[in-house]
Amino acid sequence: MPPEDKDDDMPDFSDVQSGASTTAEGAVVHEIYEVKSGDSLSKIAKRIYGNAADWKRIFEANRDTIKDPDKIFPGQKLKIPSAN
Amino acid sequence: MKRLAASLLPVLLLTVAACKKAEAPPPTPAPTMAASTTTLPAPVGVKSVMLGSAIGPDKRVTTTSDVFTPKETIYAVVESDGSGPAKLRALWTFVKGEKTAKVDETVIEFPSSGPSVNEFHVTKPTGWPKGDYKVEIFLNDGATPAMVKTFKVA
Repeated sequence: MPPEDKDDDMPDFSDVQSGASTTAEGAVVHEIYEVKSGDSLSKIAKRIYGNAADWKRIFEANRDTIKDPDKIFPGQKLKIPSAN
Repeated sequence: MKRLAASLLPVLLLTVAACKKAEAPPPTPAPTMAASTTTLPAPVGVKSVMLGSAIGPDKRVTTTSDVFTPKETIYAVVESDGSGPAKLRALWTFVKGEKTAKVDETVIEFPSSGPSVNEFHVTKPTGWPKGDYKVEIFLNDGATPAMVKTFKVA
C-alpha cells in the first residue's frame, strides 16, 4: 500500500471527539470516518468505542459498502454509529 | 284560395307556438368549484446556525461566540424546519491559508415534521490548535453547504 501523504505543516486531529443530538424524534446519529492506511475495523472500533470487539457495529452500519470486514481501504468513508 | 289560406292560418300559428315550446330550455350553468385552499407542506430547510461553547436543555447555545479557547467544546446548533426526510451533515475543517485539514464529520438523519433544534459538538482532549476553522452544514446530500460558519481558536 503506498505511503500516505502527510502534511507536517498541518495539525493532527485524530483525537477529536464529537457527538450530536436533536429535538426531533426518530433520529439516527453517526460520524463519518475516513479510513487511513493501516486501519482495520477493530482498530477503528478500539479508537472510537474503546473496545475492538465493537467492530461489528461498524460493519453492520456499512453493509452497503463493506462486503468483507477484513477488506477496507484508505479513503473509504464509513458511518460510525453513535456510542449512545 | 282565400278560404284555404284562412283555414291554414290557425294551423300555422299552432305550429309556430309548438316549435317555441319545443325549444330546448337554456342550459343550466355548470356549478362553479370553489378554489382549493390546500397548502402543501414546506420542504425541509436550514434556518440558522449558531456557535457557542455551551448549550441549554433546549439544545440552543447559551451564549453565541465565534472565538474559543483551546480547551473548550465547540457547539454548532442548527435550526431546521419543514417536512420530509432530513439529513444534516456538519463538516468541521481547520483552515491555514489555502490548506485545510478535516477535523470531524457527523450526520444526523431524521424524519422532519416541523421545527427542530439539532446540535453538533467537537472537543479535543489535547487542546485545539490556534487558528481559523469553519463548520459547513449540508442538507440532504447537497453538493454545496446550506450554511457556513467560521470561527477562531485563540
